[in-house]
Amino acid sequence: MSTKPKDGTDIATGLLLMAAALFFGWQTTGLDIGTSLRMGPGYFPMVLSALLFVLGLLVFLKAFGREGEPFGKVAWRGMAFILPAPVFFGLTVRGLGFVPALFLAALIAAQASHRLKPLHGLVLAVVVTIASTLIFSYGLGLPFRRFGPWLPF
Amino acid sequence: MTIKLTRRLALGAAMAMGLAGAASAEFPDRQITLVIPFAAGGSTDVVGRIVAERMSQSLGQQIVVQNVGGAGGSLGAQQVAKADPDGYTILMGTVATHALNPLILKQKPYDPVADFAPVSLLVLVPNVLAVNPELPVNSVQELIDLAKKEDLSFASSGNGTPLHLSGALFNSMAGTEIAHIPYKGSGPALTDVLGNQVPIIFDNLPSASSHITSGKLKALGVTTKERAPSFPDVPAIAETLPGYETYSWNALFAPTGTPPEAIAALNKAALEAMADPEVAKRMGEFSATIVASSPEDLGKHVAAEMAKWEPVVKAANVSMD
Amino acid sequence: MDLLSNLALGFSVASSLANLAFCLIGVILGTLIGVLPGIGATATIAMLLPITFQLEPVSSLIMLAGIYYGAQYGGSTTAILINMPGESSSAVTAIDGYQMARKGRAGTALATAAIGSFFAGTVATFLVAIFAPPLTTIALKFGAAEYFSLMVMGLVMSVALAHGSVLKALAMVVLGLLLGLVGTDIYTGAPRFTLGITQYADGLNFVALAVGVFGIAEILRNLEDEHDREVMTRNISRLFPTREEFRQMFGPILRGTAVGSLLGILPGGGAILASFASYTVEKKLSKHPEEFGKGALAGVAGPESANNAGAQTSFIPLLTLGIPANPVMALMIGAMIIQGIVPGPNVVSEQPALFWGIIASMWIGNLMLVVLNLPLIGLWVKLLSVPYYILFPIIMAMCSIGVYSVASNTYDLYAVAFFGLLGYLMSKLRCEPAPLLLGFVLGPLLEENLRRAMILSRGDPTTFITRPISATLLLMTAAVLVLVFLPQIRKRRDEVFSESDA
Repeated sequence: MSTKPKDGTDIATGLLLMAAALFFGWQTTGLDIGTSLRMGPGYFPMVLSALLFVLGLLVFLKAFGREGEPFGKVAWRGMAFILPAPVFFGLTVRGLGFVPALFLAALIAAQASHRLKPLHGLVLAVVVTIASTLIFSYGLGLPFRRFGPWLPF
Repeated sequence: MTIKLTRRLALGAAMAMGLAGAASAEFPDRQITLVIPFAAGGSTDVVGRIVAERMSQSLGQQIVVQNVGGAGGSLGAQQVAKADPDGYTILMGTVATHALNPLILKQKPYDPVADFAPVSLLVLVPNVLAVNPELPVNSVQELIDLAKKEDLSFASSGNGTPLHLSGALFNSMAGTEIAHIPYKGSGPALTDVLGNQVPIIFDNLPSASSHITSGKLKALGVTTKERAPSFPDVPAIAETLPGYETYSWNALFAPTGTPPEAIAALNKAALEAMADPEVAKRMGEFSATIVASSPEDLGKHVAAEMAKWEPVVKAANVSMD
Repeated sequence: MDLLSNLALGFSVASSLANLAFCLIGVILGTLIGVLPGIGATATIAMLLPITFQLEPVSSLIMLAGIYYGAQYGGSTTAILINMPGESSSAVTAIDGYQMARKGRAGTALATAAIGSFFAGTVATFLVAIFAPPLTTIALKFGAAEYFSLMVMGLVMSVALAHGSVLKALAMVVLGLLLGLVGTDIYTGAPRFTLGITQYADGLNFVALAVGVFGIAEILRNLEDEHDREVMTRNISRLFPTREEFRQMFGPILRGTAVGSLLGILPGGGAILASFASYTVEKKLSKHPEEFGKGALAGVAGPESANNAGAQTSFIPLLTLGIPANPVMALMIGAMIIQGIVPGPNVVSEQPALFWGIIASMWIGNLMLVVLNLPLIGLWVKLLSVPYYILFPIIMAMCSIGVYSVASNTYDLYAVAFFGLLGYLMSKLRCEPAPLLLGFVLGPLLEENLRRAMILSRGDPTTFITRPISATLLLMTAAVLVLVFLPQIRKRRDEVFSESDA
């Protein structure tokens, strides 16, 4: 453990901001910078990337010499189940159709909390699917296929 | 060249298709999705929704409109190009999706000829050249003269749109260098011309018409070869620059491989829709000219449009990745 | 008098049976959405957009406006009861409102929010009625240079009034600006930051960003410590405030209304900044600043009023300039375009029935809200006593549907997951999502107008200071900057928010 006070959160923030700035800056390299009369597509992003880098650096430097707050718990289980839910919905909504895709997405999200038992999660997903289908597909008439071409019926 | 279809021809085609359509009583047996490759609210969307509603009546099945906007219409067109060729997914194509984008885009997401089975050309929509009333010009010739003396700019609804290219074609034919200022859509472009931030605009006639009528914009010319019926006092640009002609159009396409019976049924329904007086009235309000063609004529139309725009796109030096 | 006849026209439009019904539907939907955390008014409006095709333009906009301020209102209910703001603008209300609820004063807090919102809504509606037409006359003088300066001011204010570290807030704004540039460059057609994905050619979906950094990040935060959550259902002892409490809330409501109205007029600031600003003002003026963060009535009354006043007056730039003050407004502009109305300076003169009808409906909508919500407080509490682990799968399903419904673009759903992760990371790193969001919205406008102004002035950068309106805006921006970075003020600001974080 280091004896000098430093704010770990802000060190991470500064580094991540600088990394993001480098990424955007790198993506800008292929774009035409142009002139100030006819600014190219790369002009504004390049300026912003540079600015972001400077800000990240400042956050990083200011993190030394003061104590930060603890980072706290991380919701690993939450991330593992919450974030894939919309991705899964996106991957399957055209193939499986609205109803099965939504059911599976809700079922995945329901696993994020250890307080929801598997059976209850299943029931919840069914209820959510039926209610959403009635509201969004029948009620609001959103133009999604309820059952997609991947399914035999 | 451009195709010319008289009403009588169109009706004849409708009758011929009617016979073919009767043979396939099965299509359609479920809901059809009409993909509109632009956001809800645009002129393509309006045309599409009016036509879809009337076509649903003829087909006895609901046509559901789905807006798949993005990338100047390419995303929606791409989606239909890849859809099952069963006639249940069709596209409201435009001059952008089936002539300009394929010429402009460096990476071609789809082939406008090989990937699509034409159904019917529906309407032609004129564009208009208009100026803020404070600009001291009253005719296309006066504008050309002024543009040769002063630096002028024109607003358009975006880079690579038919309106941008209408302006580019104007510049190349008139020998002027009016600078192009693209906006995100017609609305903001119009606002800036109304406020005289930019003096000149190329716009769709439907979107500019209310401002022309109210006198807040001065229409110098329409881009069609002949004057528009809704604005008989506004000359055609071609009267000053012979040969100048641009317009936007809307047409129905299905994916390649769609059964001919399905195409025929869709074409029949489209022609019936366009022959409906109520639809004709709405299109008239919209300054759109009804064409209602056969599938074959739409195919020829696409080829002709691509041939027409290719040199313009090259001359204007527009390209996108 | 012109104003009276205009208002009479407005009320005659807004009080037709159909329009009253649509207004009611709107405020109910909005309140429901605001109370349910995770899905915003933005997604709902996007979803309901095609339905408004069938309605008259006035009716559809009245309904959409109802959803908007209904959501503002419902958000504060959730913020007070379970410390979870349903809308970002009610984040401030949560600070003292939640503390009040813990002390058994949830009823008082909810009623204060309702009364403050109604008063502010009424005043702001009349401000819109009086000042909107004069604004239209100068609206057409706004060219690219003026818009650029306006955007700069909006960005500076968003930083100035954000809590926490100014440096980080700035960084978030810049990051937001960069994210806002994703997509096709409108001047050359060159794709930027799209990583070769055509589905992002028109930019990242705003709903995906908002749902991700606010909604999903909030869910993840709640999943960190599932044992600490509580709902104060049983503790609502009394619904209406006492006479003494009425006296206490009077000043904050008045000041909050003033602050909110002013900021709401400015596009790019709007309701989000209004509540922060009001909170700072109230704490500074209070005789007992130590109470703030521990259940101060003024800390609810002021920001709630400011929030609602800002929500109303942010319709001024929408209706007169045709530029959106916030994402919900941007969708309303879409709704107007669908209806064939060119949003912009001409709406007042060309569509007086629409313009004044919407204004009148705002007041009616606010009345409906207060009438609806006071008796419904008990019901809201029951709704929210649903365990959180049951709520969030529902929220995820709603988010997915909501985002997908905007453009049927599956890549928007992948963006939701990415922004959820980003939002959670940001909250762990104590970076605020609000400046990021504002940067994202303003970024494209900032660049578009900067470049357009430079083309129009033939490359002369003095265009920004030789045009009087632009110069004035830039001067005001400079003044705000000076205020923010005056060390003394900054210190005071930090005090305000360091306590509120605790």
